[in-house]
Amino acid sequence: MAVAHNFLPDQYDRDLDLKINHNYLLEQFSDKEEVLAKISDLVSRCDFTLGREVDDFEENICSLLGAKYAVGVGSGTDALFLSLKALGVGNGDEVITTPYTFYATIGAIVTAGARPVFVDIGEDYNMDPERIEDVVTERTKVILPVHWAGLPCDMQRIRTIAKKHNLNIVEDACHAILARRHGTYAGRFGDTGCFSLHPLKNLNVWGDGGYLVTDSEDIYQRMLLLRNHGLVGRDECAEFAYNSRLDTLQAIVANHLLNKLEDITESRIANSHYFDNQLAGLDEITLPSRPKNVQQVYHLYVVQAQRRNELKNYLQSFGIDAKIHYPVPMHLQPAARKFNYSRGDFPMAERICQTVISLPVHEFITREQQDYTVTKIKDFYAG
Amino acid sequence: MQVKFVDLGRQYQDLRSEILDTVDKVFNSGWYVLGPNLEKFEEKFAEYCGVKHAIGVGNGSDALYLILASLGIGPGDEVITAPNSFVASAAAVDRTGATTVFCDVGEDMNLDPSKLEEALTERTKVVMPVHLTGRIAKMEQISQFVKRHGLLLVEDAAQAVGAKQNEKRAGSFGVAAGFSLHPLKNLFVHGDGGMITTNSSDLASHIREFRNHGLRNRDEAGFWGINSRLDEVQAAVALIKLKHLDHWNARNREIAKAYSKALKDFVRVPEEEAGEIGVYHRYMIRTNQREELAEFLLSHEVETKVNYPIPLHLMPASNKLETCSYPMCEQLSKTILSLPIYPTMTDQEVHWVISKVKQFFCK
Repeated sequence: MAVAHNFLPDQYDRDLDLKINHNYLLEQFSDKEEVLAKISDLVSRCDFTLGREVDDFEENICSLLGAKYAVGVGSGTDALFLSLKALGVGNGDEVITTPYTFYATIGAIVTAGARPVFVDIGEDYNMDPERIEDVVTERTKVILPVHWAGLPCDMQRIRTIAKKHNLNIVEDACHAILARRHGTYAGRFGDTGCFSLHPLKNLNVWGDGGYLVTDSEDIYQRMLLLRNHGLVGRDECAEFAYNSRLDTLQAIVANHLLNKLEDITESRIANSHYFDNQLAGLDEITLPSRPKNVQQVYHLYVVQAQRRNELKNYLQSFGIDAKIHYPVPMHLQPAARKFNYSRGDFPMAERICQTVISLPVHEFITREQQDYTVTKIKDFYAG
Repeated sequence: MQVKFVDLGRQYQDLRSEILDTVDKVFNSGWYVLGPNLEKFEEKFAEYCGVKHAIGVGNGSDALYLILASLGIGPGDEVITAPNSFVASAAAVDRTGATTVFCDVGEDMNLDPSKLEEALTERTKVVMPVHLTGRIAKMEQISQFVKRHGLLLVEDAAQAVGAKQNEKRAGSFGVAAGFSLHPLKNLFVHGDGGMITTNSSDLASHIREFRNHGLRNRDEAGFWGINSRLDEVQAAVALIKLKHLDHWNARNREIAKAYSKALKDFVRVPEEEAGEIGVYHRYMIRTNQREELAEFLLSHEVETKVNYPIPLHLMPASNKLETCSYPMCEQLSKTILSLPIYPTMTDQEVHWVISKVKQFFCK
């Protein structure tokens, strides 16, 4: 629903008709009174920009993830963009990332002035660390791993490579709040960890929003400038910068939902494990590899399916909101023509884009709905 | 009597139940980004400004950046603008990779058309007047200059929503205009927000993609964009307020008129020219005793501000920009003072401010 081009009311109406939806925002709003009371108070105070609740949210995130600093910004995209800017990335620089991601990852790199350099993904759908060193050049500045679907990349390996080549790491953890690898939270491995609060994230607000975490005081101080016009005090501008602030109003929503995040995460994990067990026996479905010592938080539940497009239409005809995230990898997008990649350059990413399907696993999905989904998948392949 | 520089809470008292109902409704709908409220606000805003298209974006800074970048402005290009603006004007140019070239302002505190020639080079692509304080720059002369040299005209209308010049609204003069819906603006939302207006359908559709990751549809990006969208909840709030804007602006004009009439013998007051209808986002006087007056007023609980004390070319951020001198801008920065002005100010408050300014000069 929110991934509209201009406006797609048709899709929205369709979504409302579905029985098992990816979108859970109507249910989420069920205990609205508390939030509305706080919003009413905010509007009387008129503390709309960088207000008290933004500070609270930043503190909450720091204690949740054990980070020294957190900064609320306008969106996950901006968290990535501002991180790159804070690390001095600009024209002529290269940033190594994955071709299997959402557009914003690449948009942030390109609008920062740099060039994205892709490496193929592995069986876990994440950037394959073993391929990174092949593409390191003297222009490489940053490795930007994406923790796809809430599964943390092999950060130990990526950190070793970054250290060897003296590169910075910016983590795209937009899918991965509370995901862990060997006990460390996603977003806590790199120079910065970037998160989205878009309405359909595990931790969301009711509009656009984002944040990033870092342990570096330098990056933190720079970030405070970058998100607020480069202003030092009211009247002095240290550098021409940007306007990218988490609205106080949305910080209220985030603080409210933060109390539920553990529960949300647990149900997503439980729902996904249930699907894993139910689908494991099907020849037509291939589950991604599930690495050990990892907590995947399943912002998306993604598997590979034979006759994927037909399956998606079939499930939708039964009111099950199966989705494709996403059918075209970034290096084959029209926008990527100038980077001179071609079909066949990243075979795994290309294959995954042609075969993946996402099933709803959010916290409001019931076992009955999951069983219904599994039955329909089985019916499809039996028929 | 205490007179605050701004008092947003008062406006809210009148609209409280309508706004809370609307916020509730939007949150209940589960549709928070690029939805029906934004679509409707864009339509109404375009109609209000007298243009074909309006596009809701994340904030006023992004509005200017999206316009300039969509017009293809980038490294090697130059954009002429005013040095007495908020930093966002120059920052938007900087973000595209282009160079900001300042041009001095006139008595109206806006770009001085007679000085544009001095700022012109063969790299100049855009002239971007800032309608400071809600007063439209001299658009006829600026437009002629732009046309003569084959340039583009982009309006920084962040402070000027509703202002008119010869019956045309701010935002309808150039190829496109950027507006801010920041809480301190005449039309504001409850967080950050911005608008772009244009008559060009091509530019409008490009910007619609640009603000949404460059997406043509759910699965395809024609170019790499940014994320800068006016939230549904903010668009719904803006829709409510747009209905009251003309009324609010009229009250601002009433207050400005009272100030000017009473104070013109003591300080320089803004003087409107024929055909001009300013919306007084700020009411700025000029006096050589600025600091003393501000201190005196504060001692009588009248808050004032200076918008802005440091011209952009003298900011630490400008070290890479050319260092020139802009005498009028520099003189203004030392003499201007903004008095409180907002639609919910009472007549008593206005008269209190007037009497205190008079008292300062007559003591």
